[in-house]
Amino acid sequence: MITLTPAYKDVPLVGSPLPEIPLPTNCPGCGVGLDREELADRAYVCDCGHHFEMRGEAWIAFLADLDSWAERWADIRPHDLLNWRLPKPYSLVIDQLRSEGLNEAVRTGTCRLGGRPVWAGVFDFRFVGGTLSIVAGERLARGLEAAASERVPYILVAASGGARMQEGVLALLQMAKVNAAVGRLHAAGVPYFSVLTDPTFGGTAASLALLGDVNVAEPGAKIGFTGPRVIKQATYADLPADFQTADFQLARGQVDMVVPRTELRPLLAHLVDLYST
Amino acid sequence: MTKDDTLTVWQVVELARHPERPYALDYIRRWAPDFVELHGDRLGADDSALVGGVGSWAGRTVMFLGQQKGRNFPERVRRNFGMMHPEGYRKAMRLARQAAKFRFPVVCLIDTPGAYPGAAAEERGIAAAIAHSIMEWFWLPIPVVAAVIGEGGSGGALGMAVGDRVVMLENSIYSVAMPEAAASIVWRDNSRKVEVAEQLQITSRDLLAMGVVEEVVEEPAGGAHTDFDATAKALERTILRYLEALTRTPTEELLQHRYERFRYIDSLIHADADFGPKVGSGPA
Repeated sequence: MITLTPAYKDVPLVGSPLPEIPLPTNCPGCGVGLDREELADRAYVCDCGHHFEMRGEAWIAFLADLDSWAERWADIRPHDLLNWRLPKPYSLVIDQLRSEGLNEAVRTGTCRLGGRPVWAGVFDFRFVGGTLSIVAGERLARGLEAAASERVPYILVAASGGARMQEGVLALLQMAKVNAAVGRLHAAGVPYFSVLTDPTFGGTAASLALLGDVNVAEPGAKIGFTGPRVIKQATYADLPADFQTADFQLARGQVDMVVPRTELRPLLAHLVDLYST
Repeated sequence: MTKDDTLTVWQVVELARHPERPYALDYIRRWAPDFVELHGDRLGADDSALVGGVGSWAGRTVMFLGQQKGRNFPERVRRNFGMMHPEGYRKAMRLARQAAKFRFPVVCLIDTPGAYPGAAAEERGIAAAIAHSIMEWFWLPIPVVAAVIGEGGSGGALGMAVGDRVVMLENSIYSVAMPEAAASIVWRDNSRKVEVAEQLQITSRDLLAMGVVEEVVEEPAGGAHTDFDATAKALERTILRYLEALTRTPTEELLQHRYERFRYIDSLIHADADFGPKVGSGPA
């Protein structure tokens, strides 16, 4: 936990009114009945500290000051390159998700955060598990390159199962593509802040998500390379209860801090100021 | 380039994993009989799944890094079946930085089912180790050639395969995940590995068609295990031809090309109508 410096108390807890998200009637953390509107104003964090999953557009609304979000490269579309058929044709998976209004596993653009201009890349776990795909990689790489050349801080919100199987080795190669661009952002001296949400795994954890100048994890988020199911399958190991949690990764030096969502925007604004030279 | 077009994808997978297939040290010792192996990441450990060291090859000192499997059971266990822990990637980068100091070219031999999928690797930061390796390769001011000699599995392979040129032996495979792991992910059932292998497009010819590798090196009839010397000779000719050209390339140009090679690795999708549909719009 961190204590905010008073100077950042004026950065609102959420940038814009948050859209509705799927919620249970009672909080799984404390059992209390939930007031949706009140919860939306508190970034979907219960008084008891339980963080409800925010996805895609909720994160964008959260980060961006009102009416400041300018999305880029939303027109790049995924395609079924490998003619993937089983267990479900990839083209049908894509069509289904697009018909639900989802636009790939990463959206990117510029906005203001507490008045400060930033570039943002936001994973959406609902699109094939937030998997790193050609479209996701392309949007990330273009955004990172633009942030480097414009000298504007880059904020990532990660939530991903790893590379997308249905795009084969070209999905794997997106790790190299985005890391090349992250390297150029670092070389340009532009700050990069990575927010790790639940879950962040596989090729996304093993590429840009853990390469921030500052890595910030959400409380309780699971972060790792290989998921617990596969580890148990491969090694028959008993895993500790806190395995791959944000606090586990903090204790092992992989993230700089674990920060409640209610303190995240003031923190990011503070960091942008501290790292702007 | 493939003489035997009748092999199924799964037969190629089995050749890539053949227990008698030549491993990294079989090539390195043939190419550079004076090879000196170096050990340790200088941070507390040495990973036996990765061999590294220097040797003279075609008149110059070369830094060799190879993912190494074991030939018999005790050695397989000692080599952890070619699955690296974080220490392996840190050792690789220590030696790659050393190569940069002395301007030795680097040759990476890829042969792993993936990074080690165990709790110990997670506890010591395998994700960040791979992430940092991939990023750092783009800044090493020396030629890097990577060759997939058996299994090129997932991020564990890519962490060692950020080369100026990447080549594959004919019966090797390179995949986003090994077929068993991919089946477990998309099907929750790793017994569907054969069907998934066919969908993933993981053979050397697939990768060449996608533009992910520059060249496929032919193996002797029956596979690399039937003739170590001939396979080593064929791979040597290819790698040395690339190293020759790369060592004459100015450093700035080398690094720019390396960046572009991976930044636009999927550009065939934009350019080649025969390979799948195009990805949306061009550069904004």
